[in-house]
Amino acid sequence: MKCINKAISLLLITSMCLGLTACGNGSSKAAEAESGDGVITLRILENDTAKAEGYLDELINAFNEAYKDKGIVAVDANMDEYSNLAENGPYGYGPDVLYQANDKLMTYAEDKHILAINKEDFECSQYIPDEAWDAFAISVDGKQYTCAVPVNVQEPMLFYRKDMLPDNWEADWDKDGDSTPDFLQNWSSLYQYSQQIYSSSNGEKYGLVAACNDLYMMAEFMFSYGGYVFGKDGNGVLNSEDIGFGKGASAKGMLGLRQFAGVMNEECIDDSIGQNRYSKVADGTYFCSISTPDTYVLFHDRLADVYKEEGLSEAEASDKATENLGMIELPRTMPADGNLSENGDTVDTVVMGGVNGYGISAYTEHREACIEFVNFATSKEMIKKRAEILGIAPTRSDVAEEIGGVTEMIFGSLNEGHIALMPSIKAVDQIWDPMRTLLSDVAKDAFRENKGEAVKYADEASMQEALDKASQSIYDAIYTLSN
Amino acid sequence: MKSNNIKTKCSYLVMGLGQFLYGQRIKGLLYMAVLVSYLWYLFTAGISDITGFFTLGTVEGDPWLGTAGDDSIIMMLRGILSFLILIAVVVFYLSNIKDIKNTEKLVEQGKPVPGFYAALLSFVDKKFYVVALFFPVIGVAVFNVLPIIFMILIAFTNYGGDIVPPKLVDWIGFGNFKQILSLSGIKETFVRILGWNIVWAVLATAINYFGGLFLALLLNKKCVKGKTFWRAFPILAYAVPGFITLLGFKFMFSYGGPINFYLKAFGLQAVGFLDIDAGWKARIIGLLVNAWISIPTSMLLATGILSNMNNELYEAASLDGAGRWKQFTKLTLPFVVFSTTPTLITSFVGNFNNFGVFYFLRGGLYLDDYFLASDTDLLINWLYNLSIDNNYYGIGAAVSLIIFIITSVISLTAYVNSSAFKKEDTFR
Amino acid sequence: MKKERLSEAIITHIILIAVSFIFFFPVLWLVLASFSASGSIYDYEGFFPKSYSLSTYIKLFSDTQMYDYPSWLRNTLFIAVFSCVLSTVLVILTAYTMSRFRFKMRKTLMKSTLVLSMFPSFMGMTAVYLIMINFNLINNLWSLILVYSAGAPMGYLVQKGYFDTISNSIYEAARIDGASNPTIFWKVTMPLSKPILVYTALTSFAWPWSDFILPNMLLKNRDLWTVAVGLTHLGETEFSRFAAGAIFIAVPIVILYFSLSRFLVAGVSDGAVKQ
Repeated sequence: MKCINKAISLLLITSMCLGLTACGNGSSKAAEAESGDGVITLRILENDTAKAEGYLDELINAFNEAYKDKGIVAVDANMDEYSNLAENGPYGYGPDVLYQANDKLMTYAEDKHILAINKEDFECSQYIPDEAWDAFAISVDGKQYTCAVPVNVQEPMLFYRKDMLPDNWEADWDKDGDSTPDFLQNWSSLYQYSQQIYSSSNGEKYGLVAACNDLYMMAEFMFSYGGYVFGKDGNGVLNSEDIGFGKGASAKGMLGLRQFAGVMNEECIDDSIGQNRYSKVADGTYFCSISTPDTYVLFHDRLADVYKEEGLSEAEASDKATENLGMIELPRTMPADGNLSENGDTVDTVVMGGVNGYGISAYTEHREACIEFVNFATSKEMIKKRAEILGIAPTRSDVAEEIGGVTEMIFGSLNEGHIALMPSIKAVDQIWDPMRTLLSDVAKDAFRENKGEAVKYADEASMQEALDKASQSIYDAIYTLSN
Repeated sequence: MKSNNIKTKCSYLVMGLGQFLYGQRIKGLLYMAVLVSYLWYLFTAGISDITGFFTLGTVEGDPWLGTAGDDSIIMMLRGILSFLILIAVVVFYLSNIKDIKNTEKLVEQGKPVPGFYAALLSFVDKKFYVVALFFPVIGVAVFNVLPIIFMILIAFTNYGGDIVPPKLVDWIGFGNFKQILSLSGIKETFVRILGWNIVWAVLATAINYFGGLFLALLLNKKCVKGKTFWRAFPILAYAVPGFITLLGFKFMFSYGGPINFYLKAFGLQAVGFLDIDAGWKARIIGLLVNAWISIPTSMLLATGILSNMNNELYEAASLDGAGRWKQFTKLTLPFVVFSTTPTLITSFVGNFNNFGVFYFLRGGLYLDDYFLASDTDLLINWLYNLSIDNNYYGIGAAVSLIIFIITSVISLTAYVNSSAFKKEDTFR
Repeated sequence: MKKERLSEAIITHIILIAVSFIFFFPVLWLVLASFSASGSIYDYEGFFPKSYSLSTYIKLFSDTQMYDYPSWLRNTLFIAVFSCVLSTVLVILTAYTMSRFRFKMRKTLMKSTLVLSMFPSFMGMTAVYLIMINFNLINNLWSLILVYSAGAPMGYLVQKGYFDTISNSIYEAARIDGASNPTIFWKVTMPLSKPILVYTALTSFAWPWSDFILPNMLLKNRDLWTVAVGLTHLGETEFSRFAAGAIFIAVPIVILYFSLSRFLVAGVSDGAVKQ
C-alpha cells in the first residue's frame, strides 16, 4: 500500500508541475488572442505544408511588419488544417481567415459560414481568370456571390525519372518527332512503355504505378470520355441529382484503367501506393507515378536520400535529384476507344483539379482587417514567394507568366478546360467513398484472372453497370435519407 | 400530515424551513439555499431553456449579416439540462419531506433533535451508499445520460443533411423511423450487418475471454519462474495505443506490406487480406487483431481475480486428494466464471460496439448489396457512415435507437439471468 | 511423476515463448520502425527498415515547430494522471457500494448502467461537445479529465465482481467492533483490494492515454493536443516519427506496470498453492 501511495503521489506531483506549466501556457495564449488594447488579432489557418516549409511564418511576419502601425496582428490559428469551421466557428473557436480547397470552402459557404466577398476589394482580381473565380461562386436566392479568393490550382501531376528514359527514346518513342517522349504525351504510349519495362525486367520494375483507388488521381479515365461529377442545369447551377460518372463513354475509359492496372502491381489497389510512391520512384522500381504538385518536395527529398546513400554530399544529392526528377502534367491524349494497346483515335485528357483559396470566416469580428490580410496574402509578391517555396501553380496570371515552365502550363490547362474542377457544393463529400470502392474493384479486376477468380469487368456492359451502381450509391448517400 | 404541525407544513411549502424552525439551523439553511439557487436559475435561465426545448428556436441567424439566431441544438441541450436539474431538485424536495417527517416523529416522542454534525455522521454511516454514489451518479447523469437522451431526442428531429445550424431544427415525431422502414435497402443492410455483428461479438468475446484466462492460468502455474517477466510481453502490447496497433496491422496486411512482400519473395501470389473481395479473410483478421489488442486486458483481470481466490479451498481440496483437473473444474472455473460474468457482458457490449477495428483496418468501402456499408462493417461503423460521413444525424440517431433497443434487451436478459446477478453472494 | 512435471514445464515454456513472441513481435517491429532512417514504412525490406538512425527521436523532441511532441506528452500525462486518480476513486466507490450494500434503487441502477453502456458512444459526442461549449471548457485539459472520470463508474462491473468474492464475515467482524461504514471501506476493504485497485488504475490510466476521438474534438489548439491526437495528424511519410511517438507513450504504462505488478498478484504470493 505504501508503495502504491508513493508511486501515485510521485506521479501526481510531477503531473501537477507539468499541468501547471501546461495550463499556464494555455491561458497566456488565450489572453494573447483576445488582447484588449485596441490591437486586432487575426487567426490565420494555413495548410500543413505551408507551415512546415516556413511559408506561413514569412507571410505572417511580412504582414505584421507592414501593418504594424494599423494595429492589426496576424497569428497562426494553431489548429488542425482541416478543422471544421461549421463546428468551431459559431462558438468562437474558428480561425478568421482560412486557406482551403474549393470543395471544402464552398461547403462552408453553402451554410454561410464563410463570407461572401466583393471581387473588386482585391487587387489580385484582375489577374485571376474567371475559371478560377467560378470555383468559388455560389448562388443564394437567385443571386450570385463569390466566397473566396483563388490562390492556386491543383491537379494530378506525373512525377518521373528523367535519368531513366530509355537510351533510344528519340528513335523508338518519339513518333511525332516533337522531341518529347510520346509516353509523356499520350496514355497509350505510356501503357506500352510500362508494359515493355515490366516484361523486360521480368516483373521487377514497372512503368507507371499510381493509386488506382484514388478518384482524384484517376478521374481522367472518366472525364476525358464525357463523364463528370455533377451536371449543370439550364442556369449553369450545379445539380447534384445528375451524377455523371457513368455518362458519355466513361465505361470505355474505365476499361482502359483496368487494362493499365494490369501492368502495375497490386499495390495500386489499396493505400500502399499512396505512401510508397515517393520511395519507389526514388529507388527506380517505378519509372513514374501520379501525385499532386505540392508533394514535389517529398519525391525530391526521397530521391536525394538515395543519392546521399550512394555517397554524394547533401548539396550534390539535392542538385542531382532536382535534375533527375521530372514533374509534368498527365499525358494529353487518351485512346478514344479506351484500348491502350492500340494507337488509334484519341481524345483530350481531362483531369480533376481544384482551386485553393482564402476564405473569411463569417464569425470574424474584424471583417475589414481580414480583407486587408487576404489582399496582402494574394499580392504579387506573396503569391510569388508562395510559388517559390511551395511549388504551387498560382492563379495569378502575372506570377504564372513570370515563373513559367510547369506553373504556366497548369495555369494554361485551367484556361483551356483540361482541368475539370471539383464541384463547389456540399454534395461532393459523398462521391469519394463509393468511387473509391468502384475504382479499387476495377483495379483489382485486372489481377483476378491470374488468381483464378472470376473476372467481373470483361466488357463495356458490365463496366457501365458498375458505374451506374456507384452513381446510384452516391445518389443514395446524398438524397435517399434527406428529408 | 398531522394538523398540529405548522413547522412540518412549512417544509412542504418552503424546503428546509421546517427543519430550520425545529432548530436544525444548518440543515434548514442548506435546503433553503438549494431552493433559492434553483429559483434564481429558473428565473435567469431555466424558463427560457424549457420553452426553448419545445420550440427549438424561432429566429434563424444569418452569419453573413452577422445576426445571431437561435441555435436549435444548443437549445435542446439546455432544455434537457434544465429537466435534469428539475429532477434533482424534486429529489431534494422529497428527501426534505422524508427528513421533516423523521424530525417530527422525534419531537413527538420527546427525543432531542440531533445537531448538524451528529446527523451528518450518522447519515454518512447509515446511508453510506448515498454518499458514495453521489458523485458517480452526478457524473454519469451529466456526461453519459444527458448525451444519450440528447441523441434519442435527435432521432425525432430533422437534424442533418441540409438542416444544420444556422438553420433551425424541428421536431418531426416518428418521421425518421417511417423513412427507415420505407426504404428497402436499409432494412436488408440492417439485417445483414446485425447478423455479422452478433457473430462478431460472440466470437470476439469468447476469444478474448478464454485467451486471457488461459494466459493467466498458464502464468499462474508453479513451474513458471519469472512471472513478472513473462507477463510483461502482453503488457507491452497493451501499452501501445490501440489505434496505432491497428494502423500497424493494416500496413502489415496491405499489398505493399511485409506479409505480401514475403509471399512474393517465395514466388507466391500477393493476397488481398483486407481488400474489396476479402470477406471472411478480413473478418478473421479483424478477430485476431482484436484478440491481440484485448487479451492483455483480460489476462490482467483474470490474474487479479485468481489472486483473490481463497487458497484454503485449494489446501482443503488437495488434502482431500482431489486431482489438479478436478481442482480446476470444481474450484477455479466456477470461481472465475462467477466473478467475471459481468465482465463477460461488458466485454460483449464493448465488442458489439467495437468501432475501431474495422474503421482502421477496412474503412471507407461501400459494397454492393449494402447500403453505404461493407461486409465487415459492424452496426456502429454503419452508423458512423450514416451520421458522421454523410451527415444524417437524425436518421443515424434513429437507427442507433433501434440498435440500442435490440442490444440492450439481449444483454439485459443475459445479465438478469446470469448467476452473478441472481446469486451475488455465492462466494462469500 | 517427476518426468511428467519436467515435460509439462517444457511444454508450458514453449507455449509461453510462442505467446510472448506473438505479443512482442509487432512491438519490436514498431521499435525498429522508429529507428528507421527513412520516414515511410512502405520502403522496408519486408518487416525491417533498410537503414537505422537515431534521428527520428532527436527530431521528435527538437523539431517542435509543426509537431510539438513534448507539449503533447505533457498534456497527455496531465490528463491521464488526473483522470486515473479520479476514475479509480469513483469506480472503486461505486463497485464497492454496489457489491456491499442492498438498497432500494440498486438493481435498477445496475440494470440501467448496463443499458446505458450499450449506447454507441460517438453518437453522444456531439452532446458532450455542446456541453463543453456551454461550460466554456473547450481547449481546456480539465474538460477531458471531467469526461473520462465522470464516465468511468459505468465500467464498475469488473470491480464489483471482485468485491463480490470478498467474504462477508470480514465486514461483519468489523461492524461488531463498532466500525462505521466509511471506516470499513477505508481500513478493511482498501487493503484487501490491491489487485483490483492496480487493475483499475492501470486501465483508467491507459484509456485517456490512447483515446483520440474525444481530445480531437475538445482540444483545438495544436499545442494542447494529446499525443494520440497529434500522432493521427502526422504527415503520411512520417511513419518513423509516428512509431517513435507511439513507443514513447507506451513507456509510462510499462513502467507503471512493473512498479505495480507486485500488487496485482498480491494474493498469490501470500500463500502459494500447495499441491
